[in-house]
Amino acid sequence: MLELLPPLNDHNLPWMDTIHPIVVHFVIAMALIGFVFDLIGVLWRRPALFEVSFWNLLFATGAIFVAIIFGQVEAGLAAPYGAARNILDLHTTIGWSLAGVLSLLTAWRYVLRNRDPEALPISFLGAGTLVSALIVVQVVLGDKLIWTYGLHTVKVVAAMREGLI
Amino acid sequence: MTTAAELLALAYQPESVPLEQIASDLGANGLPYALPIHPNLVHLTIGLFVIAIAFDVVGALYPLEKRLFRFLALPITRGGFHDVGWYNLLACCLVTFVTVASGFYEMLTAVPLPGVVSTFGLGSMTTMLWHGVGGVALLTIITGMTVWRGFQRYRWRRDMGRQVQWLYLLVGVAMFALLGLHGTLGAQLAAEFGVHIAADQLLQAGADLHVALP
Repeated sequence: MLELLPPLNDHNLPWMDTIHPIVVHFVIAMALIGFVFDLIGVLWRRPALFEVSFWNLLFATGAIFVAIIFGQVEAGLAAPYGAARNILDLHTTIGWSLAGVLSLLTAWRYVLRNRDPEALPISFLGAGTLVSALIVVQVVLGDKLIWTYGLHTVKVVAAMREGLI
Repeated sequence: MTTAAELLALAYQPESVPLEQIASDLGANGLPYALPIHPNLVHLTIGLFVIAIAFDVVGALYPLEKRLFRFLALPITRGGFHDVGWYNLLACCLVTFVTVASGFYEMLTAVPLPGVVSTFGLGSMTTMLWHGVGGVALLTIITGMTVWRGFQRYRWRRDMGRQVQWLYLLVGVAMFALLGLHGTLGAQLAAEFGVHIAADQLLQAGADLHVALP
């Protein structure tokens, strides 16, 4: 499979820069803001915001599959070391789980919206709280991979190629 | 007559860079906390802005795509799309003030790896200056566009199906390119200059990562 990709650069990537962190903008931002708009919509009785949440959630769910595709390729080229290996495993497991969880949440939301777009049961807010918390955990794990362990940074890749890590 | 270079030579005292005053409070990543804040808020700024513009485009092209959504059995309203365009942009504008503020804090505490030249052929100082000034410029444009969008929604185009002017969408799409360029500079500060990346800074200090980051 690897020979199908262009040669690897000094980030150990077949493309200029990591793409996964760019794609996850749209999962993180859309899913979290969707929950915030749901909360405001319920508390301040602004049902128009439910429509905004729905589209944001739908978009987040589409984006997570693209994020996983790039995430898998870039994880495969990341050469994790030390505790980063366990963090990357956990990040991968939660990532795939989130794809399922977000799909279910969106499906539930689609049914709710078809029934009454102006109402949102508290149970959905509860599920939204849990999913948002899971997303925050996932972001922290991803953050550790780059900001603590420097995976795919030029300095770490150079050290890896010299056999220092 | 004293030249600027002579003045700089008089003023520049490497042994007392201001950052050293708080150096003992900072971790290996050069921050007083474990993970940088700015790159996380950037997810919100970029995600919200791009999706805001994208949904206003979908709202503007509504007559073309009506049939597609009917085919997908997905009930839609044109106003709903424009609601996404407005509320996401409003949220983007509010968040971006914090994004830029945290960015400045983290740039003031930045210690880029020495001797690195980026993919763009720039040094670390030039990259940080462009990323800093660019961040303020983008915040200004986003705030201006939010006010503009608000006037279109609540005044000028309140009774119209298409809530946004074509020029607004054009400026929005042009902003995608600016955000992409600006984001790439920020990504280079991390992945190439090692700013606030614990592993990069430890390697630069000569540490063995097997010991320093087990």
